[in-house]
Amino acid sequence: MTQKEQKSSGASPQESVLAIINSKAPFSSSHGKDALDVALIFASFEQKVSLFFQGDGVYQLMDKQDGSLLGMKDYLKTFSAFEFYDIEDIYVCQQSLVNRQLGEDFHIDNVQVLSSIEFGLALNRHQHVLRF
Amino acid sequence: MSTLHLIRQSAFTSNDFAQCLSVLDHQDSVVLMDDGCYNLKHSLMDSLIKRVGGSVNINIIASHAQARAIEIITAVNTIEISDVVELTFTHNKVITWQ
Amino acid sequence: MKTLAVVITTPPYSHLTITALTYVEAALVAGINVIGVFFYQDGVMHANEDISIASDEYQAIEHWQRLQKQYQLPLHICITAAEKRGIACDAIDNDKINKAFTVSGLGELVELTTKASRLVQF
Repeated sequence: MTQKEQKSSGASPQESVLAIINSKAPFSSSHGKDALDVALIFASFEQKVSLFFQGDGVYQLMDKQDGSLLGMKDYLKTFSAFEFYDIEDIYVCQQSLVNRQLGEDFHIDNVQVLSSIEFGLALNRHQHVLRF
Repeated sequence: MSTLHLIRQSAFTSNDFAQCLSVLDHQDSVVLMDDGCYNLKHSLMDSLIKRVGGSVNINIIASHAQARAIEIITAVNTIEISDVVELTFTHNKVITWQ
Repeated sequence: MKTLAVVITTPPYSHLTITALTYVEAALVAGINVIGVFFYQDGVMHANEDISIASDEYQAIEHWQRLQKQYQLPLHICITAAEKRGIACDAIDNDKINKAFTVSGLGELVELTTKASRLVQF
């Protein structure tokens, strides 16, 4: 095994195990809910997981939405449990907000708005990445 | 920290490629595969090649491009899926944009 | 040791699956320790015993079976995703699920992710 491989296998202390990128709007597909299920499982196994919202994924964070009007169980409400699950690193892409004429009115606290460069750097602090 | 980016969608129908480029670092590598091969003719491709001054390693799966009658340009390396396995371990992580 | 875990979210009737299979087989041939494949979302349909794909089309399910047999490759399907798609129930002896696949939960994905040096999604 080379030194490089050794270094890159297994998370170092400052590195989180998993980053999940959310790229889809909340209601027309199950991607957001499927990503949430993965995040909560990792958290309940006490694995560090961070959530990234980019592209249409940013719509999952916007305030004043109500999935119940569409006759569905509103999984976005579960986002308020992130604190309980120790999911603390929640990042949103600023450019994606700007492109969609969205302000920073999120339905949960503790969301960090990042420039594209910062967003990329934050992703880099994770050992693995899944995208939904 | 380097990342291997697998591009599987045409940028003419989805924003995946654009989103990938927004987080791309100069030491990363890109692999165009499946319908991602069509991005070779997308304007984002020109900006990628120009922006990084050729420092990002850009690859395309030869059989995926040939199957789609896509002409390969010199700025891009032609590879096979088995090379993607190798790239998986020469980078720190893999992000699939699909 | 190079260890790899793979997440499959595309169904067997998607041509994107061919790329995933080619990649996993190339990894196995290269001697990479593929510690498991986790099927999530529409990926769980690969385990559907009732799926019948015309014989002149790509046989994704057969390919997974072959890799499982030849390399003892663990194939896990997410039970929640499978139940949603009508192919899993509580019974262990479930004739809707192809025998090459193991019914697991998302906890298995946590296990694979923490053990693998690389995680790749298809």
